[in-house]
Amino acid sequence: MAGDEIEQLNATVLQQIPNFAAHTLKNLHMRQLHHLLPLALVFLISISSCKKDEQLDPVIPNEEEVITTLIYTLTPEGGGETVVFSFSDSDGDGGAAPEISADTLHANTTYTGSLQLLNETQNPADDITGEIAAEGESHQFFFENTIAGLQITYADSDASGNPIGLVTTVETSDATSGTLTITLRHELNKLAGGVADGNMANAGGETDIEVTFDVEVQ
Amino acid sequence: MWKFNKSGPLFFAFIITTFFASAQHCQWKVSGVVKDESTGQPMEFANVYLREMQTGDITDSLGHFSISSVCSGNYHLSVSHIGCEPIEIFLPVSGDTTITVRLDHHSQLLNEVTITREAGKTTTQENQSLSTQRITEQADKNLGNLLENISGVSTIRHGSGISKPVVHGLYGNRLTILNNGIAQSGQQWGTDHAPEIDPLSANRITVVKGAGVLEYPGNSLGSVILIEPGKIPRDPHLHGNARYFYESNGRGNGINLKLQQHAKLLAWRITGTLKKSGDKRTPDYFLRNTGNEEAHLAVQLEKPIRDNWSADLYFSTFNARFGVLRGSHTGNLTDLEEALQREIPFYTEDHFSYSIDAPHQQVNHHLLKAHTQYRITDQQWIDLTYAGQYNRRKEFDVRRNNRSEFPALSLEQFTHFAEGRYENNFAANWKLKTGFQFQQTQNTNIPETGILPLIPDYISTEYGAFLTLTKSVHRATFEFGGRYDIEDRRVAAISTTIPRKVIRYHKQYQTGGALAGASYAIVKNWELTYNIGLAARNPEVNELYSNGLHQGVSGIEEGDPELDSEFSVKQTLSLKGNISEKLLIQALVYHQQIADYIYLQPQDEIRLTIRGAFPVFRYEQTDARITGMDLSANWQISPRFSINAMYSYLHGHDRENDIPLVYMPANNLFVALNYQLPKFGKFQNVEIQLNNRYVFKQNNLLPEQDFLTPPEGYHLAGLKLSAERQWSKFRLQLFTRAANLFNIRYRDYLNRQRYFADEPGINIISGINLSF
Repeated sequence: MAGDEIEQLNATVLQQIPNFAAHTLKNLHMRQLHHLLPLALVFLISISSCKKDEQLDPVIPNEEEVITTLIYTLTPEGGGETVVFSFSDSDGDGGAAPEISADTLHANTTYTGSLQLLNETQNPADDITGEIAAEGESHQFFFENTIAGLQITYADSDASGNPIGLVTTVETSDATSGTLTITLRHELNKLAGGVADGNMANAGGETDIEVTFDVEVQ
Repeated sequence: MWKFNKSGPLFFAFIITTFFASAQHCQWKVSGVVKDESTGQPMEFANVYLREMQTGDITDSLGHFSISSVCSGNYHLSVSHIGCEPIEIFLPVSGDTTITVRLDHHSQLLNEVTITREAGKTTTQENQSLSTQRITEQADKNLGNLLENISGVSTIRHGSGISKPVVHGLYGNRLTILNNGIAQSGQQWGTDHAPEIDPLSANRITVVKGAGVLEYPGNSLGSVILIEPGKIPRDPHLHGNARYFYESNGRGNGINLKLQQHAKLLAWRITGTLKKSGDKRTPDYFLRNTGNEEAHLAVQLEKPIRDNWSADLYFSTFNARFGVLRGSHTGNLTDLEEALQREIPFYTEDHFSYSIDAPHQQVNHHLLKAHTQYRITDQQWIDLTYAGQYNRRKEFDVRRNNRSEFPALSLEQFTHFAEGRYENNFAANWKLKTGFQFQQTQNTNIPETGILPLIPDYISTEYGAFLTLTKSVHRATFEFGGRYDIEDRRVAAISTTIPRKVIRYHKQYQTGGALAGASYAIVKNWELTYNIGLAARNPEVNELYSNGLHQGVSGIEEGDPELDSEFSVKQTLSLKGNISEKLLIQALVYHQQIADYIYLQPQDEIRLTIRGAFPVFRYEQTDARITGMDLSANWQISPRFSINAMYSYLHGHDRENDIPLVYMPANNLFVALNYQLPKFGKFQNVEIQLNNRYVFKQNNLLPEQDFLTPPEGYHLAGLKLSAERQWSKFRLQLFTRAANLFNIRYRDYLNRQRYFADEPGINIISGINLSF
């Protein structure tokens, strides 16, 4: 009995819906609808047209500016075995830890040090050293160390006669150990006090490279 | 011959009218009363001016004015009062004419103190506005800095030119900004990305300090900022205004021109702004590379198609270049530590310059909105809206080998928004609003940078629906409603591992929001309002996927792709009212709990890179609580003297770790003394204001939460002079302001450049606004 009543009620409601819709439409005069329809159409087109373009195709950038690797090669004066310090972080700022290696220096020896910078995100690796040399006036390397008796002096200069540090002279004295930090600054003040002698305190500028090696002198 | 016959009667009629007009000796009287729109009280000392007659009157203590000997014809009646939005009314006169003019008084302080409220108040949420007059007097300011005039609003800044509004401690993606009803869509995730909106295109800017936003899509966790150009006034003649300002600090210049006409076929308005300024100066040195250049345009068209059907179109374009302090750009942690030690930033020059070099930002934002409204009856109507936005952002850094001319960040974003909305004022004082919304955002990195992008490419598609009901019973208003959103987000990121490859993510979010509110007029002139709102915010792409070095703060930021949506419960309780129209008070307390609040947490890890070692920060989630209070008061001591005061208190707490929340605004107190003269010689509405803002030190922070302890509190004094005068057909508004009057040295906790430099010193700004 109750079921019948509910069914009847449902039927009435279902009949009412089209009636209600027809009534609403009747109240909206056809003439008005003519004006509304094109607008509604524009509206729908604008929605659907922006759904079409759903491709996501990011371009992997050509990271030609990145420096991943620094190689400091020390050649003893008068011949002998070259010494290599290398710092390599092949994924840039990414999570993989850098690889750091440093050969042992000989005591009481004079070396010619030369720096090479690489971008190993590229294949084959890009050599950035020339870029730094070309912009020598706005770049300078600094060599800070805690090794007793180690002397590092600039052996190159930019167009204005100020040092860059791509080429250096390294003199060791007694057998000892310590750390060597090589820093590359750009847009620094090369004329500030002590900067030409390799003192970073007044240099300012932005750091591009700052790597530290554990060095043994034997 | 027939030609003469046809024009004859017309010619004759013309003679007759002229004759009659002169015979009448222009005998009509235009009179009326000026009332306060919100309180309904008559307003004394309002200036009333019949422009074509070049004559006027000042209202008496009952708000009455009267202008006699007015001829028949069409006139413009302008009505102004100190602290009010001046209005101009198109007035055809063909006999004695009486009108009632309602002025919007105290709009900044007590926006909707409609104690004797008309039916149909649409929201119970608290809001405070800035009128055109206040915007004009501060034409030199960007949107963020302008909004600091409202209690509870602060700004996160990146130098003096780039600022983001913060309402009740939330900003960026947690705060929705509506430009002419359209949610601003840009790169809002960056703390150094200012909203791309010209405040001079608005005739009113409102901050809704709400508990939840139901009517708009987006991620607001309570508050909304509305930038409204307003409807074009129904005046058939061409009107407009021209604004110009000069500021001494930064030698900034700005012009703004607005023209509008409600012509028979089409109502139109066009607004354009040009601004340029150079290096700002602290009391001791120039802030190198802090200039900016801006060019904005907005076009508004309104077309009544028939009595019950109208359509409008809005287009705006925002184009700017912002310099970033050269000395704030550091390479690694060693550089940052060195910069923190310095009195004067690196690269400071001893001369002024307009030039903008790297680092700088170049931003373009275009908006096109088409809207139509169809009134089914007077009580119910349908709105259809489409809006398209295009955002282009390029950020330039100091780079090697002439690469500084290529942006280091280059992003393009398209947003399409479509909405169908239905409103019905059914039954006695019941108001229903419901709508369906669609929004698609496509964000693309332009590969010209040669740098791994900071945030990935993505396409986000959102569908949302809402329904709200408002009911007014004679002393109370109730509001409740809900909203539901689905977001589908496809992301394509580039790996930070070698070899680089594309990593794809596909995520769907479903969120809901709800709001319930009630306001009740306890006694005459006092209203108590309570709101509770639930809202959600999906994690933003930078929080999920960013991975890399953030140069500005010398840290590596890592996103977490597994972050969940934030969920907020906010309650607000406000009391507003006045004591015999002399002392107006508005007090608001709020309490917000945000579950899964996303923030940057410093990690124990120090990551070694070729540039040195960097601390690692990771986006994490916690349970946060923000409590606060905003107080505003205005005391009219005498007809000449008044005092304004605003106080904002805020306390942010990380409940899970029992530590403070970072980047929460410091408490602040603003007091202004005003002296007002309705008439002084040929000048009207003369106002002198002496003000002081005290920003407290942010003590609610642990030393390990920042590189530096927050700066000391500071007092910032200001002075303002403004006056108006009628000059034949033009109305002139003149102002001079002095900011940081005593040229003090200070730094602000919410300025990201506080690590490097002081804030600007004294700045004197003079300007003129010519209305016709």
